[in-house]
Amino acid sequence: MDELDLLKKDWKKGNSNYPKLSYNDIYKMILKKSSSIVKWIFIISLLEFGFWLSISFAFKGSVYSNKIDELNINHILIPITIISYAVLIYFFYLFYKNYKNISTTDSSKTLMENILKTRKTVKHYVIFNLASLFIGAFIGVFYNFNHNPEFSSKLELASASGEVFKFYAVIFMVTLLVIGVVIGVLLLFYWLIYGILLKRLNNNYKELKKLES
Amino acid sequence: MNKELEHSFVELLEKHQNIVHKVCRLYTNNYDAHNDLFQEITIQLWRAYPKFRGDAKFSTWMYRVGLNTAITLYRKSKRTINTQDYAGVEFKIKAEDYDDTEEQQLKTLYKAVHQLNDIEKALVFLYLEDKDYKEISETLGISSVNARVKMNRIKTKLKAILNP
Repeated sequence: MDELDLLKKDWKKGNSNYPKLSYNDIYKMILKKSSSIVKWIFIISLLEFGFWLSISFAFKGSVYSNKIDELNINHILIPITIISYAVLIYFFYLFYKNYKNISTTDSSKTLMENILKTRKTVKHYVIFNLASLFIGAFIGVFYNFNHNPEFSSKLELASASGEVFKFYAVIFMVTLLVIGVVIGVLLLFYWLIYGILLKRLNNNYKELKKLES
Repeated sequence: MNKELEHSFVELLEKHQNIVHKVCRLYTNNYDAHNDLFQEITIQLWRAYPKFRGDAKFSTWMYRVGLNTAITLYRKSKRTINTQDYAGVEFKIKAEDYDDTEEQQLKTLYKAVHQLNDIEKALVFLYLEDKDYKEISETLGISSVNARVKMNRIKTKLKAILNP
């Protein structure tokens, strides 16, 4: 006899061996919270959003932000802030839409495709955050060069001693290094969270794709 | 959501709960994990229930949501042993596990099925539930030819385990 038929015979017999949950047991269950992957992606994106927001608030009124005020670059800073928040809110909307669109009644493959679409949104979101960090840092350095009196006096000192190139090079390297470290840490963080969260789903999706090829 | 909907759902699920238990049986290997998965499938079923129009049978609809939850949405808790990384791993069944008696054979079979990957388990599950290849292919989103090919491979795999 076929191995699976042997299993099937036993499978059908086993109907009475399962725990029997009462109406109340099941009723209590539907009141509980889901812990599905999709939900976690959504929650993590919310937490991240909160994280960036609280960082920007934390800087408000600090010595650093006073310095920025002195630089008088609000005409640039305000539009940039508005645009970046508009983009963040748009992402936020996408996350929510993806979350709502995911339906367990689709075929497994469709469902996985939809979740991976969500992951793509996450990826774009990460790229956006990192890119804005990068651009922000360079704008900051650029404005310091041009508008920061402290900076200009140091530059004058450097040019007096004939070390202008060295001065620029050091500034450039330090900026790159700091940005590199920050981006590295963030990438590691994203990789850990989303990588672990989606590992199993990815494996299963690959398996289904393999069947089709 | 209104009370009437809640009531009709819980009643239907109470009646058909074995389907969910069976999914849990294939995808988990201990009591706690079984309960975890049962809970998550129940929540997913409840969330999808307003969209259930009755054009499919309730049980068919349950297969779909149950399997989708098990292979797609569910985050295995640490308590479960990870069995999805099947590729390349030999079955860890020792010679003494094998016995001619049917019961021993069944035990070995269940052990083997537990070591299949998530997709293979889904195929086995639908097969055990007497679903035809059309339904299997619709549930998983692959062609029925591929479902049949894959099923035959699984059978060969299981045969090899039972007759080393």
